[in-house]
Amino acid sequence: MPDWVEPVARYMFEVGLRGTLKIAAIAVVGSTLVGVVLGTLITIRFWPSRWLIRLYIEVWRGLPIIVTIFAVFFLLPTLGSQLDFDPFTSAAIGLTLWGSAQVAEATRGAVASIPHEQHEAASALGFGWVGRHTYVILPQALRRLIPPLVGLLIGVIQNSTLALVIGARELLSTAQQSVDRLTAPPAFGGIGEIHAIELYGAVAVVFFLICFPLSRLARFLEQRLVV
Amino acid sequence: MTLAFTYDLGSYVAENWEFLLKGLERTLLVSAIAIVGAFVIGAVLGAARAHHIPVLSQLAGVYVEIFRNTPILVQIFFLYYALPQVGIKLDAATVAWLSVMVWGGAYNTENFRAGFEAVAARFREAASALGFGKLATFLNVTLPIGGRIALPSSINTYIAVLKNTALLYPIAYEELTTSALQINALTLETWETFTVLGVVYLTLVWSLSAAIRLVEGRLALPETR
Amino acid sequence: MRRLLAVAVIATFALAALAGLGMAATSGAGPDASAPTATPKKPKLPPLPREVRQRKRWIFGVKCDAPPFGYINVRGENAGFDVEIAHWFARFAFGKPNRVSFVCTPTPAREPALTTGRVDAVIATFTYTRDRDTRIDFSRAYYQATGRLLVPNDSTIRSAGDLSGKTVVTTSGSIYDRWVRKCFTNTKLVVTDNFTNALLTFNQKRADTLMWDDTVLVGIAAADRNTKLTNDTFLALPYGIGIKQGNVAMKRWIDSRLEVMRKRDLFYTILRNNIPTRFVAGFSRNILRPKVTFGYPPADRPSPETVCP
Repeated sequence: MPDWVEPVARYMFEVGLRGTLKIAAIAVVGSTLVGVVLGTLITIRFWPSRWLIRLYIEVWRGLPIIVTIFAVFFLLPTLGSQLDFDPFTSAAIGLTLWGSAQVAEATRGAVASIPHEQHEAASALGFGWVGRHTYVILPQALRRLIPPLVGLLIGVIQNSTLALVIGARELLSTAQQSVDRLTAPPAFGGIGEIHAIELYGAVAVVFFLICFPLSRLARFLEQRLVV
Repeated sequence: MTLAFTYDLGSYVAENWEFLLKGLERTLLVSAIAIVGAFVIGAVLGAARAHHIPVLSQLAGVYVEIFRNTPILVQIFFLYYALPQVGIKLDAATVAWLSVMVWGGAYNTENFRAGFEAVAARFREAASALGFGKLATFLNVTLPIGGRIALPSSINTYIAVLKNTALLYPIAYEELTTSALQINALTLETWETFTVLGVVYLTLVWSLSAAIRLVEGRLALPETR
Repeated sequence: MRRLLAVAVIATFALAALAGLGMAATSGAGPDASAPTATPKKPKLPPLPREVRQRKRWIFGVKCDAPPFGYINVRGENAGFDVEIAHWFARFAFGKPNRVSFVCTPTPAREPALTTGRVDAVIATFTYTRDRDTRIDFSRAYYQATGRLLVPNDSTIRSAGDLSGKTVVTTSGSIYDRWVRKCFTNTKLVVTDNFTNALLTFNQKRADTLMWDDTVLVGIAAADRNTKLTNDTFLALPYGIGIKQGNVAMKRWIDSRLEVMRKRDLFYTILRNNIPTRFVAGFSRNILRPKVTFGYPPADRPSPETVCP
């Protein structure tokens, strides 16, 4: 194994992969929480809230995620210095906006697919709207949400690479920095060799090893749950 | 409270519309090429997968899994930054349409495969009963019907292709997003830049989705209407 | 015996007081620096801006890919001419050179980093232009750079006049970006969002020439024997330290310390620390020295990057 491999591999895994997983974790948790809430609320027959949530969903699904991430990074700080997030957080927020829109749409479909009898039976048992949804509707709907949620996880993990454009240190950006550094002549801290294929190939392999099992899982769950 | 910025959309557009329009043209051109390519790839490889054509079906399967389970940005980087190492130097414009086309083709292959496999067996049996050979059955029965079944999912893929052209920013291909951000770097008129980007992309995506829903209604199979 | 002890105690207190006054004078900081103290001493330097004093460290935006001004060295640390200036500022403010954090600010990120308050100041090959001055403030000039063209050895480009029909690469938002867009309509311009990508674009022969500051390009031409610089120079505009608009306290502090560094010829020391010996003599004409002062172009003439050759 050539000398340059070890520090590069360490940098890419300890800094890069960790960054990717951190962004993905925050975005998935945030998307699920926000998305499930919005997707449930949109079923309430009150057109102003419906319209607003629908707008939210269509905007964050319609924009390219890279535009959303740039907007969070460049625009929010102009509204107040508390809204000045570092590249990491900005990317996580951007991904959460997109992810929550996806989850909201899926939740809406899942909740809408619960037969009306369930709502009636729950009301007959004395549950209010909140109780009905918390104890009867959502548990069933959430089961139907699991395949899309796995899909969301895959999507978020793959789209975390977009954080590169605002300078966050995730797997792809650490690979790019390593390629650039290695290519530079020794006077500038490099070794003058190009190893782009190895490093970008390694990034592709890592993502594949993470996403392929997840997509198999999603397919399996989909078949199991479509009764 | 004084805001930390000024907002003058009118003069922003007046000064920059030519450059932005050129960027939009490139976005649309790259998307169009990629969508046509993704359609062809999807139809051909989806058919191969659905009909289990030996060798081609397995190779298509590998292609699909690789390009659906790796991020598109990594694919773009590989085409633009890594291939020159083995002597294949593609310019930014080529990488632009090639990357989104290959990415979209992988998703579309699955869309068409599902569509073809969903064509009820009775249609295909009826076709062979009428004396159609395998290829003729495919062209006259499976493709039209399966293609229409696959329409919703493939349209979603095409819209995703359009949105993913924005990812050509790191390789400095001057499509709409890159052009707008270059103007932003020189003039710092950030709010105006993102207003334009937001309006253009949402208009494109929303009108495409709406148009497709109309067409879907027309093209849907009689029994699903 | 007791008298000896009393003298020793008084002497110790006197020494401590003198030391305290000495430290206060060099750091220029104090709880209420505007209130005159009882002991007369030489005129105080402007005080450290409050936000930096409270934070007890500096946050500077620097280049991370533009040697010899700002880059990451083999040990993974920020290094370079601009970075050393930052370390001197930390010494002046806190007595310790490492009370400073660095944020990488490639060309298009420099102004947003200031306007959003992400950094205290930007020391990142920041060329002064009148246009930029409308959005941010600059310290006094501290380095004279000019634009140069980096070309392969066998290139037919000899000067900026030969750019017609060629491809030029530079960084997004730079003075070169603005100049080429305005003046060279027959030239294909590629802009990248940082210098590393610009250099990569040139090295991969996706552009015929790389247009940038002479200081960085000289180092690259020296290290890469297949490239050279053309002889012509253009867009001579000095670097300044970028400061958020209206932050008068910051500007006063930075300008005063730059003057201190000029008088003590510290820029020459920093230059020697950062570039190969054979270039030092040539570049020593570009820095502030006890006998060399320069400023920004006068306001009555149009700004160079808006003037076409």
